[in-house]
Amino acid sequence: MDSMYYGDTLIVDLDAGTTEEVDFVEADEAGPGLAAGLALYEKYKDADPIIFGSGLFTGTPVPAACLGFVLGKSPVTDELAVAPLNLFAGSEMKLSGFSMVVVKGTSPKPAYLWLHDGVADVHDASAFAGMDTWDTTDAIRREMGESMIQVISIGPAGEAGSKLAAFSINYWGSGDTAAIGALMGSRNLKAVALRGLGMLDADDPAEFYTRSLELFASARKDSGFAALCTALGTGDLDKWLEPIAHRARACFACPSACFPFVKYNEAPTVMESSDVEEPGMLLTSPAAALWLMDGGWEPEAASRALEAMAREGLDMVRGARELAGMPLTDPGEIASAVKALEGSAEAAWPSGEPTPAGLFGAWTPPLADADAWKLANMAGYVLGVCPTYLMLSEVDLEALAGLCQPAAGVEMEIGSLADLFG
Amino acid sequence: MRGRLRKAAAHPSYERWALAFGPVRPRVAVYTGEGASHSWIWFCDLLERLRLFDIGLITDADILSGALRDFDVLLIGGGDTYAMAGSMGESGAREIEAFVRGGGQYHGSCAGAYLVLSEVDLEPFTPFSLIEGDMLNVMSEPPAPLCLEHKYLAPYGSDWVFHPVYGEVELSAGPAARGLDEFETNGPIAAPLFGGPVLSVDDESCVLADYAGATDRAAFLWPRYEAERLIKGKQAFAMRRLGEGTASASGPHLEHPLFPESNALLAGVLVKHWQNRSHSEGVSSALAATKTQVKGSDPKTCIREIKRQVSNARIVGFGLEKTPVTWKIGVKVWEPEKIRMFLDVAWDRLPYLEARAGSGLLPAAGLEELASGYAGVTGLAKTLRIEVEAGRDSQAEAQSLLTRLKELTASFLALYFELRLQ
Repeated sequence: MDSMYYGDTLIVDLDAGTTEEVDFVEADEAGPGLAAGLALYEKYKDADPIIFGSGLFTGTPVPAACLGFVLGKSPVTDELAVAPLNLFAGSEMKLSGFSMVVVKGTSPKPAYLWLHDGVADVHDASAFAGMDTWDTTDAIRREMGESMIQVISIGPAGEAGSKLAAFSINYWGSGDTAAIGALMGSRNLKAVALRGLGMLDADDPAEFYTRSLELFASARKDSGFAALCTALGTGDLDKWLEPIAHRARACFACPSACFPFVKYNEAPTVMESSDVEEPGMLLTSPAAALWLMDGGWEPEAASRALEAMAREGLDMVRGARELAGMPLTDPGEIASAVKALEGSAEAAWPSGEPTPAGLFGAWTPPLADADAWKLANMAGYVLGVCPTYLMLSEVDLEALAGLCQPAAGVEMEIGSLADLFG
Repeated sequence: MRGRLRKAAAHPSYERWALAFGPVRPRVAVYTGEGASHSWIWFCDLLERLRLFDIGLITDADILSGALRDFDVLLIGGGDTYAMAGSMGESGAREIEAFVRGGGQYHGSCAGAYLVLSEVDLEPFTPFSLIEGDMLNVMSEPPAPLCLEHKYLAPYGSDWVFHPVYGEVELSAGPAARGLDEFETNGPIAAPLFGGPVLSVDDESCVLADYAGATDRAAFLWPRYEAERLIKGKQAFAMRRLGEGTASASGPHLEHPLFPESNALLAGVLVKHWQNRSHSEGVSSALAATKTQVKGSDPKTCIREIKRQVSNARIVGFGLEKTPVTWKIGVKVWEPEKIRMFLDVAWDRLPYLEARAGSGLLPAAGLEELASGYAGVTGLAKTLRIEVEAGRDSQAEAQSLLTRLKELTASFLALYFELRLQ
C-alpha cells in the first residue's frame, strides 16, 4: 500500500536494543490498520510482540481519523487485546515514519523508544524508572526539546506489573482496559515517544481531500459528553462537571470535542495561563467518570482520583468502578485509596449492554447491539476512525469505506470487514 | 508548503533552461558569508533545478582570498547589507568588480542588489558599485507602518530604507527584456519582495522588469493604494554590461523556489550571459580539481546519524515556531521558521545520499563531520528553546545556532553538489 502509510515496519528487539526496518506488506496482504497489526502479530507470534500501529485514514482530515492502536496479549485475559491510541497519539504514530512497530523481547534495563521521522532510537530510561506518567512525559519532552511529542508511557503500576496497569497517552490516561501497560512494564518498555513532520500521500489527493472535507463539513459536531450520555441513557455528566469545567477538547481531526478539561486547582473561569502549574485534568474516560458520578462522588474529588490513576498508570475504568461505592473528598485519602486499588472490578460501563469480551475492550461504549458494536470497532480500528464517533454520529460507513479508493487505491466493503479478522 | 514546492519544481521551464546552458556548464559561486541570511538556499534550489551542480558556497574570506577566479557566476542573496559590505570591504569590492570585468556574471537579489548600486553611497557600501543607479524606497521620516513593524525599516545614514509592500508582487517586462520570452508566454510574472529595493537605474535600456503591482498575497505596510503607487511602474530588475561581464540586481527574490516563472526569468539572464561568453569545451571545474573518490568507511551509519540529528533539530525548531519570538542579528530580523528552512535543505536531500550510501563515492570524513555538526545543532536548538520558554533573552543562543546552521548547510550542500556532479 504505497499511499496512506509512511515508512516501513519497524522491528524493535529490546533484548539487544536494536532496530530493523522491513517492508510493510501486511496492509496489502491482510488489510490496513488493525488487520495488518494482527497479521504482524501472527508473523512474530513466537516473540509475543507488542504492536503499535494506525488505521488507513489516521492522521488525515477524515472526520475523527485520530485512531491508532496498541495490540498485545493481555496479562488479564491472556488473550490478544487492542487498546486505542487516540487524542494526538494515533496521528503522530502515523506520521512517525513507521507504518507499524513490532516490539519484541525484554530490555535489560528500562528503555524508551523515540520514533521520529523514520528514525528509531532506543534510549535508556533508567533515569525515569519509578516516575509517574506525568513526570515521564515531561522528562521525555524536555530531553527531546519539544512539547508536541506524544508520549505513551507507563507509571509505577505498569513497572510493577499490576494487572490494573494501563499505559497513558501523555498525562491523560488511556482506554487501555487490557493491562497493555503491564505488558509494556514486563518488557521494561517505559515509554514510546512519537513525533513526525512528514506528509501522507493519497492515491488521488484532490478527490480524497475534497470528499474528506465534504464529509467533515456535514459531520455531526458535539461538545462534551452530552450526546454520549443521552445515547446511553445515563445521568448528565456535563451537568455534574459544570462547576469545574473549563473547556472541551477534541482528538485529532474530530468534529466533536468530547473531552472536558476540568480545573480544580484554580478557578475554572481563569482563561489565561497562570502560575498554577497543574490547574486540572483532561477527562478522557467517560466510563470512569460515570462510575464515580453514580457512586456519589463530587466532581472535584472524582477528578482528583482520575488524575491520581492517570499519574500512577492505572486503568481508570476498573479503578473508578472499584472506588465508586466509597466516595471520598480529602485529597490525601483519595491518593491513598488509589494506591490501594486491587483490581477487583472488571472493565465495563455502568449502563447499557455489557460489552462483549474479546479483542476489543470496554473502551468503546455500548451504544448498539453486540453486532453493530463489533462492526464499529472493526471499522474504526481498520480505518483509523474513533468507533464511538462512528456510532454516535451514525456516519454512513459505506461512504467512509468509499474513501479507501481515492486514499489508497483499494476497494473496501463494510460487509466484508469481518473477513479481515479471520 | 512542501506540496507547493514539489509542484513548483515540476514546472517545465526548468528543463528548457537546463538544456539551454549546453554541455559545458558554468561554475557558480553562491555567497554564504557574513551578513547572508537564509535566502542563498533558494539560489541552490534554483541551480539544482537547472542541473547546475558545479557550485561553490563561498564566504567573504573566500572572496578576499581570490576564490572568484575559479567561478563564472557570483550570486548574492538577501541578508544584512551592512555586514556583507563591512566584512568584504574595499578589497572585496575590487575582487567582485574585477571578476565581472573579466567576464564573470554577478546577480544580486535584495541585499545583494542594494550592495552594488552606485548611488547607495555610504560607508561601507561606497566601493561596491557595479550598476549605475539608486534605490527609491528611502526617506528621512517614513510614516508608521500598518503591520509587520519588525520588517519595515533599516537605517541608512540619517535616513531609513523602508518597505511598504512585503510579499508577492507582479513584474512586467522592461526595455531590456526583449529576447526573453518569459513575459510573452506568461504575462506579468509573480515574484516575492522581502525588503528588496525599488530600483532607479540611470540607463533605462538596462531594465529587465518593472513592478506592475502587488497581489493579494502581499502584506501592505502602507495603505494599499499608496504602497502600490510607490512601486508601480518602477524598476525591479536591471542588468548592465561591465567590461567583459554582466551585473544584474533585482529587488524581488527571483530565485525563490515557489516562483517558477520568476526563476525562469533569472535563468534566462544566466543562460544569455553564458551563451554570449566565450568558453572552451572541457573547462574543468574548480571543485573537480580537488575531488577525489574517498571510499567511506561506513557512510550508511554516518548518513543515519545525520538523519537522526536533523530530525531531532527540525522537531525542536518546529516547536519554536509556535512561540512569538524573533531575533535581530545586525539589521536583519530572524524568525524561528528560518531554523527549519536551513534544516530542510539537508532533510530534503538526504534520500539522495541514502540511496548512494553503498556507492563508495561518499566521503566518510565529510559525513562524520556533518553528523557531529548536526548533533551540535540539535544541542544548540534545545538550549535556545529552554531560554525562549523561560522568557529569557535568547539573542546570543539564536545567533550561535543560526550561524552554525548556515555553515553546516553550506558544508552539506557542498558535499551534496559534489556528489551530484559526479
